[in-house]
Amino acid sequence: MISRKSLCLVLLGLLSVASAAQPVAQSRIVHDRYHSPDEVSAALQNFATHYPGFATLSLIGKSPGGAPLHVLEIADRGAGLAKAEARPAILVTANIEGNHLIGSEAALLLAERLLTGAVSDPTIKKLLENKVVYIAPLLNPDAAQSGYFGALRMERSTNATGLDEDLDTAIDEDGPDDLNQDGMITMMRVKDPEGEWIVDPEEPRLMRKADPQKGESGLYKLYLEGIDNDGDESYNEDPSGGVELNRNFPHDFENNTAGAGMWPVSQPETRALVDFMVAHRNIALVLNFSTENTILNFQQTARAKATGERVKVPQRFATMLGVDPEQEFELGEVVEMFRGSGVFGGEVSEDRVAQLLGSGPAVSLDRQDLPVFEAIQKEYKEALKTAGVQYPEKKARPVGKGSFVAYCYYQYGVPVFSTDIWAVPEAKKAETKKAAAGGEAPPDKEATPRTRAGNSSAGGTETPDLDLIRWSEAVLGGKGYVPWASYAHPTLGPVEIGGFAPFARVLPPPELIEKHIALPVDFYLKLMQKTAGLAIEETRVKSLSEGLYAVTCFLSNPGWLPTSSAQGRRAGGAWPVTVRIQTDKDQALFAGRPIESVPSIGGGETKKLEWTIRAKSGSNIQIFAESPKLGAVKTQVTLH
Amino acid sequence: MISRTTRQVKKLILGCVLLLIASGSIGLANGPSLSFDHFYNHAELTQALQTLAASYPQLARLESIGKSHQGRDLWAIILTSAKNGPPERKPGFYIDANIHGNEIQGAEVALYTAWYLLTSYGTSEQATRLLDEKVFYVVPTMNPDSRDYYITKAADPNSPRSGQVPMDDDRDGVKDEDGPEDLNGDGSITQMRKKDPKGSYRQHPDDPRILVPIRPGEKGEYSLLGQEGIDNDGDGRINEDGPGGYDMNRNYGYNWQPNYVQRGAGDYPFCFPETQAIRDFLLKHPNIAGAQNFHNNGGMILRAPGAKNLGELPLADVRVYDYIGKRGEKILPDYRYLTVYKDLYTVYGGSIDFIYSTLGIFCFSNELDTDPSERGTDRRGQSREDEETAYLRSLQRRLDEMDYYDRVLLGDQYTDWKPYQHPVYGDIEIGGVKKFGRRVPPAFKLAETCHRNAAFCLFHADQLPRLEFDTPKITKLDDGQYQVDVSVKNTRVTPSISAQATQKKLHRMDRLAVRGNGARMLAAGQLVDEYRGLTRKLDTRADSCWVEGGIPGFGQTDVRLLVKGTGDLTLVYDSLKGGTVETVVKLQ
Repeated sequence: MISRKSLCLVLLGLLSVASAAQPVAQSRIVHDRYHSPDEVSAALQNFATHYPGFATLSLIGKSPGGAPLHVLEIADRGAGLAKAEARPAILVTANIEGNHLIGSEAALLLAERLLTGAVSDPTIKKLLENKVVYIAPLLNPDAAQSGYFGALRMERSTNATGLDEDLDTAIDEDGPDDLNQDGMITMMRVKDPEGEWIVDPEEPRLMRKADPQKGESGLYKLYLEGIDNDGDESYNEDPSGGVELNRNFPHDFENNTAGAGMWPVSQPETRALVDFMVAHRNIALVLNFSTENTILNFQQTARAKATGERVKVPQRFATMLGVDPEQEFELGEVVEMFRGSGVFGGEVSEDRVAQLLGSGPAVSLDRQDLPVFEAIQKEYKEALKTAGVQYPEKKARPVGKGSFVAYCYYQYGVPVFSTDIWAVPEAKKAETKKAAAGGEAPPDKEATPRTRAGNSSAGGTETPDLDLIRWSEAVLGGKGYVPWASYAHPTLGPVEIGGFAPFARVLPPPELIEKHIALPVDFYLKLMQKTAGLAIEETRVKSLSEGLYAVTCFLSNPGWLPTSSAQGRRAGGAWPVTVRIQTDKDQALFAGRPIESVPSIGGGETKKLEWTIRAKSGSNIQIFAESPKLGAVKTQVTLH
Repeated sequence: MISRTTRQVKKLILGCVLLLIASGSIGLANGPSLSFDHFYNHAELTQALQTLAASYPQLARLESIGKSHQGRDLWAIILTSAKNGPPERKPGFYIDANIHGNEIQGAEVALYTAWYLLTSYGTSEQATRLLDEKVFYVVPTMNPDSRDYYITKAADPNSPRSGQVPMDDDRDGVKDEDGPEDLNGDGSITQMRKKDPKGSYRQHPDDPRILVPIRPGEKGEYSLLGQEGIDNDGDGRINEDGPGGYDMNRNYGYNWQPNYVQRGAGDYPFCFPETQAIRDFLLKHPNIAGAQNFHNNGGMILRAPGAKNLGELPLADVRVYDYIGKRGEKILPDYRYLTVYKDLYTVYGGSIDFIYSTLGIFCFSNELDTDPSERGTDRRGQSREDEETAYLRSLQRRLDEMDYYDRVLLGDQYTDWKPYQHPVYGDIEIGGVKKFGRRVPPAFKLAETCHRNAAFCLFHADQLPRLEFDTPKITKLDDGQYQVDVSVKNTRVTPSISAQATQKKLHRMDRLAVRGNGARMLAAGQLVDEYRGLTRKLDTRADSCWVEGGIPGFGQTDVRLLVKGTGDLTLVYDSLKGGTVETVVKLQ
């Protein structure tokens, strides 16, 4: 339950207007703490109960740990032209990583904002009359439950699939242990001849790697807090749980990597989500909350740059087409070359040419799509500035390998935006300098003990850094950091336990949740207004001679996003707008095709379609335009 | 029960008589008589498998490992004798076939392999030993829906390749609404052509049934209009959304790529019931060490990798593939041993990559049979020919092909061109090669395909790891401790763990354990220099140690143990894929 107070109000609400279709006043969810998976489910159920005409809750699957995976559908079912399933949809997803609990809070707030505004707020009202919003606020309940809400607090991104990580035929038999009994898993440092780490002379609370060039030599080995439960001389190498869901999606998937899963979409959660999306091809936009901030950093990986797709034509085709095999072209140019050449019969589509060229999967944002992402990035930066939020832009993480966000763009083929909501603020300039002088390791040089938590994308156990120390002191009352304290370890001998507290790096303290989720939720609400639309702007009839008419139809996209992304068209995730002109038996199409296909209409753009028709004066024809991601429109034209 | 189609095929080939004689000679004792002169539809296949399982309850067990999309059982027949311990402790050999619906003869090969092993047990030394020491998991058809479609409905040599899960190929919101039709009622989907002065084909000078492309300056006579069919959905296109529309052999979860990179891939790996069932079956039997897929056609023995981005396999594993593959070329004279990405084409998400690179199993895929028109042609020679010679040769080849349909198949698999009134194209002609006319062997050749490929499977299965202990050497030390030198030999080419599995940590390593009165393993080392007594330390538990890398093919691993205990000491070498062997020594 959300809180005792809200529970009472919920019950009152139930009693008074349970059967009414009108939304009823429900007390707000108070985001003064992180809500557990059970509480998130209860909140969703409350929404469904209290907004019967607007909110529908469905169960799309269960986690290996048995937790429900919910999707809340929000639409004004009583209004609008089309059934909710046939309307363009926006999918909102959160916390696929399990440790990004603030994402779930934001998704709940977003749902609440939509539902409370469904009648009173004209913009939201219009949105929900024409579109449908699917909200999945907690996609990795196993990791959330056991990492944050269990008896022991530890950062974890893996679900509850049992894996034998160390291949000793026992499953999950050697995870971390809370040796100092402080209720959380931190680090152990042990003096070891092989140790590569030293105490940072500039900031003794931090550990850093020794730099042999400066005459330093390593002193410590770092481990995650724990004992060697299975007596194999490895520590915490087979913790409970298995797959990091945000590495289990099929774009840029890492084969043969334990944490990524044995194959893409191998987990119940990832499969439930992908199945849901495949079954709901009306989804035209995905808005995600995760530790990835792709609004500010839309690189495919930390290395790849957004350069767009340029291809070379292989020798054997280059000869046929008469082009230089060394020259690089845009895919579209090569498609045109093939179209003009007659090298192969049938339809010459982009994907067919891409396959022929052996281009493999796309690895960066398509250049045609870039302006959209750049514009949104600019808006987001402005929003941060206006709100006076100090977000450390340099820390914005791009998508990782096998990430959900990457799947949405590269394979599902729709625009996707992801924000991390919050990151540890940067220390002030002078302090940063000091940290740099102290030799802060660049991210790719950070050697962390090879543990599951250490490998997790959120990285609560990364090299401690100065920003976090400052943050802990200034805001967390020092609670973000556990001072190193001696401990007599059963097999390692004297060790010290300490370091950063779990979640300190990923989550702001509960009292700051409300402050930080407001901006991204507002931003996403505005983004929802920008989705592509479909309208027949105008039709014109011109009489050419007795019984011969020219019909012109202006098809427009009143939204701001294009009706399809370039990558969507390439990956087959986008649908063209299909325009059908319906004539009766006394009418005949003289020029133009009965079915036209419009690949894409840019935001605010208009496309002209023309037909010449032989028909009796005063007769009517119908024009239909539709696409699964845009809905359907039609008009009737009288010929005279 | 013999289906109509079966009879039709049978009737054409007198060779089946010869065939029965051939089968008779293959050590058939008094087991059930199965014939390999026709193709089994799913009901017949089910019955044949049930008969085998019922006739050999000590050796065979039939298991339904899942259901196809349309609800047909996916059968696995599991073959092994009760000797040498439980099946899951023996090295396993896996066979599947017919993942592509039209590539049907693999099922007969698989069925034959099972039938041969069972009927030869006790009379053939090889079959007996293989069933005693190994376990065979045989899935004759992975795609029973399309198999039945191909055999019983109007189909063509190339389709249905897909399974029968409906797909919206033309993205119009309706699934499978515009497939081909058997307009001329000959039981096959053949071709449509139309007399057309603007066409780009003309009749062959010596045979009007054959159309050849016009050369520059020549006058066109015909247009080809594609496969038989009409525009069912009125969208202006013909046959653009037929049954299914995907490729299950691009749906496996290793190096999988989506449709825009790899056509037919499906929405995500293992999204089809058939590929899921096979995956789960393989995962349930980690003892499988060797595998074989059957496809058609072209006469090939293929191995991984399927795509260049994977790089070459570890050298030690390539040697194993080469050893078996090159000997396979002798067992299968018309077949060439090839690597998929290098010699054929790029495959993302194929079965053999998943089986080898995720599961650590040595796996081949055979493209069964060559088309008669391809036989005897020297492909390398052709590239050096000038254009005119190549053209004349192609004319001759087309004639030879027609000769084959006329004089060998006696016209049974060729429908002569007949006029037809088409709703869109008007006066056209329909005719051409029927569904069994290409890619599948004619019935009189099926038995040879079955036997030779079964023999290849048995050769591969016989090359799975075969482990044995050399007599251990015991040296008594102080304090009741013993030094035990243990050698485990592998007399076959397949290592007990593939190099890929060791490198990528795909499954557990082999384990050497001691059992006995107070037996404890105090220390262990892998002997690397027997003369100087050098060992590499192995991590030990109370009674066992892990042997990383296992036992190499045609090689051995020597381990020196420091053991405590009294009396009999049992040494157990336990390999996930190489089986379990034991030996007993006296500590004295």
